Amino acid sequence: MPPVKQTAPPAPGSGSGRRNLVLAAGGAVLVVAAVVVASLVFGGDDSDATGTTVTAPTDGAALFEGIPQDRALLGSPDAPVTLIVFEDLQCPICQSFVEEGLPEIVEEYVRPGKARLRFAGLAFIGPDSEKALLHVVAAGAQGKLWQLADRLYASQGGENEGWVTDELLERLSAELGIDYAKLAGAADGQVALDQANAMATEAERREVPGTPWFYVQVGDGEPYEVRPGSFAIEEFREILDVALAG
Amino acid sequence: MSDRALRAGVAVIALAGVAVAGYLTYVHYRPGALICTSGGGCETVQESSYAELFGVPVALFGLGAYLLVLALVVWDSEVARNLAAAVAVAGLTFAGYLVVLQAFVIDAWCVWCLVNDLAIVPALTALTVVRAMPPDDDQVIGT
Repeated sequence: MPPVKQTAPPAPGSGSGRRNLVLAAGGAVLVVAAVVVASLVFGGDDSDATGTTVTAPTDGAALFEGIPQDRALLGSPDAPVTLIVFEDLQCPICQSFVEEGLPEIVEEYVRPGKARLRFAGLAFIGPDSEKALLHVVAAGAQGKLWQLADRLYASQGGENEGWVTDELLERLSAELGIDYAKLAGAADGQVALDQANAMATEAERREVPGTPWFYVQVGDGEPYEVRPGSFAIEEFREILDVALAG
Repeated sequence: MSDRALRAGVAVIALAGVAVAGYLTYVHYRPGALICTSGGGCETVQESSYAELFGVPVALFGLGAYLLVLALVVWDSEVARNLAAAVAVAGLTFAGYLVVLQAFVIDAWCVWCLVNDLAIVPALTALTVVRAMPPDDDQVIGT
């Protein structure tokens, strides 16, 4: 028997089914539109997310006052534990760490001589990272690496928008008591470049996937990776107390 | 494409959505899990005030929507198909809004958000809508 073209039975037919689908989808779109409009009307603005400069997270000069610095190292050379921090000065999460985690780590562990910090700077985000890193590393020669890093984080702009200007570096240097002429010369020199390259090589060897990324070194032992769940001091207490006990 | 294949496709894509939205929800609540990588962007977007809607992470809404679609796939009735399509269309609308936000307001891109907004959600919408479409009135029957 040859195929016969017939009209399908009306139910559950396409007419009401298609209408239901259109109604459901249309209703869903309206609900989303209402939620979005409500969030725009009642939500806040987003000045922090546009990459513009934010206020200083810490008073770096006071935070590091009286703590020994040896280039990238902050803290007593006799401290039994070293927390190594891989960071990029353009990284907003590193900025969060400096705001939320660093001050209490310094006060609870570094100042009393229990631990020291090692700055391991990277410049993978772009040209502003590289310029900032070379100047920060160069500031290490004047014992002000940590102060300049702190102030650069406080002045952080949008990624590679050219925010690391000579004017900014000169102004921060003046505020921190850094000799800017020496700093600028050293940042252009081979020593700073070699130090920055050594940090990048170490990151490559350790397969650091991004920043901030942390390692703990007990004495002269091999550093091991640690992953704090947040930048709260409780997370770092757990990590550093275990290292101190071990 | 058979309904069975469409149903399986919806389930697989919704599971992919659960994975991505679950990851984004996880890093929202555990900022220590966030890192800057050479791609950049995710941190800015995730830290943006737009990452939350009335105090609830946007990613958590997404996670809920994907789980709802999975439940509707299991239920598998005409109502469930229509609801799944409606949820997906709503998600597509919201994903479009999020892409516009990243492009013009936050001025930064989040790679995993884009995977969700430009690949998973559109694919899920296409499959759920096709699956919910009723058959044409004219059919060739008999042999």
